[in-house]
Amino acid sequence: MRKAFPPEDLARDSRFARVDRMDQIADPRAASGQGGGRPNQRLTPDRADSADAARSLMHGIFVGEIQALEGAGRTCWDFETGTDGAPFALKLDMARQCWDEARHCEISVKLSEHMGTEIGEFGESAFLYQAACNPDPVLRLTGVNRALEGLAIDVFNTMKEFGSISADPVLEFCEDWMLADEVTHVKMGSDWLRKLTEDDPERRANALEFQRVVDKLFSFGGFRGEDDESPVILARRFRELAGFGTDEIDEIAAISAEARDEAKAHRASLAAQG
Amino acid sequence: MADIDVVPTEFRNVEFTADQIRGVVARLLVEAGLVDHPGIGSVRIEVDESTPLSKVVTQSLEPLVICAQSGALEDRRRTRHFGGDEAADALGRAVFAAADRLDPTFDGPAFDADVGVAHAVAWDCHVVGRMARLGHRPQRQRRLYSFELRHGFSDATVAAFDRLWSAERLTWAEIVAISDDARSVVGAA
Repeated sequence: MRKAFPPEDLARDSRFARVDRMDQIADPRAASGQGGGRPNQRLTPDRADSADAARSLMHGIFVGEIQALEGAGRTCWDFETGTDGAPFALKLDMARQCWDEARHCEISVKLSEHMGTEIGEFGESAFLYQAACNPDPVLRLTGVNRALEGLAIDVFNTMKEFGSISADPVLEFCEDWMLADEVTHVKMGSDWLRKLTEDDPERRANALEFQRVVDKLFSFGGFRGEDDESPVILARRFRELAGFGTDEIDEIAAISAEARDEAKAHRASLAAQG
Repeated sequence: MADIDVVPTEFRNVEFTADQIRGVVARLLVEAGLVDHPGIGSVRIEVDESTPLSKVVTQSLEPLVICAQSGALEDRRRTRHFGGDEAADALGRAVFAAADRLDPTFDGPAFDADVGVAHAVAWDCHVVGRMARLGHRPQRQRRLYSFELRHGFSDATVAAFDRLWSAERLTWAEIVAISDDARSVVGAA
């Protein structure tokens, strides 16, 4: 079996449509901004488009769960136990994560049915899995378990709150249960990062730098933040439970704000070009 | 057949053609019974291709002018490409709602009145139910979810939705009553 499986070869049936993230970034309509210039993007039932916005986000979660399963599965296989710096206990954690992600896929399919979404109704970008292809297990775990699963905490908490304010018990409880798993996954990443780089400060610094890059990429120009402009809110309390220090959470908030400001400047530049 | 003007005639930011949009609207006008309506005159579809959002607004009834953000007509699986089902859904809701307003027996709200999200969604469900029976993509559960979001998640809400969805023709007063009753059952009003 191949190691370091390329994203373009991920197995999907005919219902799925792959979209290129670069096409989305290059979309000239991006000049109107994240949310098309809407001042408040917070997901609430009184927003006229909230049902479709929630459906789209839920489908994004669904394909994200598939790719998280594929990423954790690859980490079980791509590294030799012990010799590649991947202890057996780490692989056991990844195997447990596979079990969780597979369950999340099933839950996401059911939630999508509940919300009236067909599998593959929205395009799938493989960029989450792409972040799970780093050849160093420490960097891969930091990028996936701390950055991406950290984003999952923020997204699930946002969806859970949406379920709560719209009095939708199905959405609220399902998101809460998945959120609990994500906190565990992030904690695994935090614990393994510390353990594997205990005597290697340079490797730890590299891993944390990789996490910053992934965190910034996945802030999507203001998608995640702490103000009303952000559709997904940084979930400070759950991140603390997952092993993040206050200074680390502050840094993610700063990275998100920086990503938003850069996106605004980029949009202004595009708008100026006409 | 009324003339259908699509603005712009050529698109720069999206891979749409005016003919694609004209074809969808021509079918909808026939289905909604507006094709020979004396008040309609020409039909104008204005597409805002500067944004990927998907809001659709009917700006005038006579003549019929519908303004759509490009995301409303876009294939959800292919960025910037035209989606026939998506366009029929978005423009169909506007065309059928216009047909309702132009029907004196419907006795609809004032054109510039803010009908509120709950009543607007209830009206949408009634419109899309009729469109589904004409062969358009139904997505019944999608509409039910949208209705439940604004009316509460309960068996009574599902029953109210079914009345809207399956009715051949309701008046505005009947739509409002079904919506208000559903909201009162779960205390959402």
